[in-house]
Parts: sequence; C-alpha cells; structure tokens
Amino acid sequence: MKRFIDHQELARDSRFVRQENTLSTVMSELPDDVDKVVEVFEAFDPMIEKATRGTSAEALYDEYGPSFALVAVNDPLKPTDSAVKTRLMMRMHGIFVGELQALEGAGRSLWDFPDAPWEFKMNMARQCWDEARHVQIFEKLLDHVGAKPGMYPESTFLFECACSDDPAMRVAGVNRGLEGLACDVFRDMIRYAEETDDEKMKQAIDYVLADELTHVRFGSEWVREFTKGDPEHYERAQDFRRQVDKQFSFGGSRSDREDAAIPIATEVRKEAGFTEEELSELSTLSADGPSRVTIKAAAKILRERHKARVAAREGAPA
Amino acid sequence: MSEEQRMYPGIGRDERTTFAPYSAFDIPEDLRELHGQYDVAATAKRVRNFRYTHEWMTMMMGGWLATIPELPVKTGLGKLIWESAQAADELGKRLPELRAGRNPATASQASNQGYADLIQNIAGPESPDRTIEKLTGLCDVLMPHLIEVYEVTMRETDQICDAPTIELLDDATRKLRRHVAWGKDVLDRLCDTDGRRDRRVARTRDVTAALRACGGVTGDLPADAG
Ligand SMILES: [Fe+2]
Ligand SMILES: [Fe+2]
Repeated sequence: MKRFIDHQELARDSRFVRQENTLSTVMSELPDDVDKVVEVFEAFDPMIEKATRGTSAEALYDEYGPSFALVAVNDPLKPTDSAVKTRLMMRMHGIFVGELQALEGAGRSLWDFPDAPWEFKMNMARQCWDEARHVQIFEKLLDHVGAKPGMYPESTFLFECACSDDPAMRVAGVNRGLEGLACDVFRDMIRYAEETDDEKMKQAIDYVLADELTHVRFGSEWVREFTKGDPEHYERAQDFRRQVDKQFSFGGSRSDREDAAIPIATEVRKEAGFTEEELSELSTLSADGPSRVTIKAAAKILRERHKARVAAREGAPA
Repeated sequence: MSEEQRMYPGIGRDERTTFAPYSAFDIPEDLRELHGQYDVAATAKRVRNFRYTHEWMTMMMGGWLATIPELPVKTGLGKLIWESAQAADELGKRLPELRAGRNPATASQASNQGYADLIQNIAGPESPDRTIEKLTGLCDVLMPHLIEVYEVTMRETDQICDAPTIELLDDATRKLRRHVAWGKDVLDRLCDTDGRRDRRVARTRDVTAALRACGGVTGDLPADAG
C-alpha cells in the first residue's frame, strides 16, 4: 500500500457525488464586492450545476441557480428561517462527510508515518475509533433531520487542505485546523439544538464536541513534539495551520464577525488548548470576505440571471 | 477472644498461632506446576513478535479506511484499529517486565523477513474494489492464526510465573475473536456471487501458503501445520 493518497482517491459507494474543490478555494478568497462574487459564481455555474444533478440539491439549483451554495453556507441557522429544514439538512450532510474525511485523515496518519512515535500512533488509533463513531452518529442525525448520506454533493476540500505529507503539518492541518473548525460548527449546532429543544441532537453533538477537544489536544502536543528543537519547522507548521484556517473560514462564514454563519467557539477552543494569540490571529484572518449584505445582493443577481437563462431556454423555439 | 487463641507466632515451639492450615478438602488445591515451555527471553521474543503484528494491523487498517467504499466497513474498522493498538500497547508494556527494555524501536519485531513480507502482502490490496482481499487476508487468515498461537502460548507458558502475559493474551484473544466474527459477517455479505466467493477462497489460499512458508507470527510454525 502506498504512502500518501490524493483526495480524489477517497472511496465512496454509489450514493455519493463529488463537488470540485476549486469552488471552496475560491470562496475562501472572495472579496467584499458584489460584482466579483457574481462573476466568480457565474464562472463556476456549469460545475455547480453538474455536481447537483442526481442529488437533492438539484431542485435548489433549479430554483436559485449557482448561488444556492453561497446562501446555504453563508447564512446562520435560525429556527424561524423558512428554509431552515433544507439548510439544516445541508449543514448536517456537510458535517457527516467532514467526519468521514476526518476518519480517513486520522487513518492515513497511521499509515503515512510508519516511523512516528508509538504514542502518536496510539492517539491516531483512538481518533480513528472516535471519528468512526462520529460518522455513525451523524448518519443517525442525518436521518433525524430527514436527510440521507449522498443527498448532497461532497467536497473533499477538508481532506485536500489538511492532509500534508509532513507529519507536523498534518497534525497542524487536521488536528488543529479541521478539528478546530469542527469545534466551531458543533458549538453552533448545540446552540441550534437548544433553541429548538432538540435534546437528542444536543446530547449527541455535545459528546462529539468533547471528543473533538481531545483531538485538538493531540494536535497541539504533536505539533510541538514533531518540531522539537526546530523553531523554523514549528513556524512552517503554524503557517500551514493559518493557511488551513483561512481556507476553512470560507470567506468569513466562519469568523468572529457579527454576520458569521458559524461563530468561532472561543471558549471551547481555549479549553482545547488554543492560545489567546492563536485565537486573535484566527479572528483577524477569518474576518475578510464578503458581508452578508454583499452575499444577499450577489445571490439576488445570480438568481435573476439564472431565471432569465432558464426562461430563454424554455421560450426558445425548438 | 478466648484465652487459647493465639494471633501471632512466638519464638517457642508451643507458641504457634491457632489458625489451622487450609485444607485441600475445603479449597481446591492449586494443581498448577512450575516450568513452562518458554523462559523469560523466549517469552519476551514472542511478545515482540505479537506486538509487531498488532502494530502493523493497526497501521494497515488505518491506511485502508480511505480506500474502502463500504461505509459500515469503514466505520466498523475504527474500533478494530483502536483495540489492535491497545493490544500492541499492552504487549509493549510487558516487555520491560520481562527485562526486555523500553526501547520502542525494538519493542516490535518480526520473527523473520518472510513474516515481515507477509504483513506487507496482507496490507497490499489498495484499490476500492478490493475490500474482499483486504478483509480476507486479515480476518480470515491472520487473526485466526494469532488466536491459535496465543492459545498455545497461554497453555504452554508457566501459568504462575508468566501469568501477566497470559492475562493480556487472554484479553487480546477475546477481542480478536470478535474481530474475526465481524470480518466473517462482512465477507459473507460481500461475497454474494460465485466470482466473489472465489476471490475470497483464492486470497485465503495465497495468504495461508505465505504464512506457512515463513513459520507464522513466531517463525516456528511447522510448514505443514494448520
Ligand atoms: Fe469528529
Ligand atoms: Fe475529530
């Protein structure tokens, strides 16, 4: 078995459809500019359409055009929102595939670094079991909210960004970048579960969050251990984590901004071992990107243009 | 307390305690005899061989997760990985107790190059259409072999002197049995056509042959065994 695999090699059964990761990369770099957002999404329109075909996102695409992905990721989850059910299903599906990739990432850390210390392998082995349970938990929670595995396209962005070939960067990317994002998302899901009195969801995700804290701690410890006596290597690992954090902020969707869909879970992250300095850095680097007002304006234009195109196609003589 | 009762022996012949020795009629007699098949060094070597296997099983299953498309297999392996790592860990902790040091680099040791090659052969199947080959090598051949060798070891080693090894092998064996049963369930489901059943049979035959050729986990299995 070879060491190091590409994100495209992640094996899935026939229910799953892939989404190109380029869109996620571009989204993480979008400026706060309506025209630019529209331009980018129009350019990705054919790709977005292709990824939705045969999934439950197809109807959303037909209705909203390429901007459905934009609105889905960037709006906070509110019980009073008329589209909350769809949004919840999409977010839950995103978490589910994120757990799958976290499982695969932890597993690959066991195989890709055969000479790593035994204690590292023990931590990764434990993480494999935890992530496997998380996949099982979110499979049940998908069902709980009326969704199914493979219902929406899967982006392998998390695995692609976080899985470096260098062990220090791997743990910085997976165990601090990805797991840190998980802490933010789960804290927000618990908030939603509390608002909707959903005890089942609240309790399950609280257990998952507790596991994720442990995984962040593994990361903090092993970044230090793998770079011991080599401050330059440590800095490179930190830079890599910053880059991953920037990518996983999805243009401010996950940030400290007031209009963020997913706020940074500062308290949880402190408990997990992130330093004040790291947290303020994260707050700064995740703050860029289009505001909700910009996104709403761009989404409106994209939807109108999409409708016009559909009408033109349907009205056109055969 | 009566006057005749004496709690502690004194120095005189008549100053014995009043406690009667346990009678073999009341409590089953300890029939275990000293002297097992393995001395301290031999047990340490076996423990290193066993640990090598559990460490590599942990690693190979970790590597496989990403290339297995069947979701319940992916998630099911998570627990096997953790339990296999725990077994390796316990075996590693036994080594210093056997005067075999704490050097992690030598804590795992293949019995011979043939066995090391066998482990790589078992880890080998990679592409997503080879879950049958992955699980057959591991759960149909290697794990049952380990169970067999662990049982022999538990029987043949000194029951009193080497009881800590017996305890941890007993625990590992119990879990291995569960893993074998899980693998069998999965493989029975996956092998639902003659073609797939043939693949399982062929893989079992190949891995078993390689296992016999190298003498198994301890390297001393007779070539015609099993
Ligand atoms: Fe997780
Ligand atoms: Fe995790």
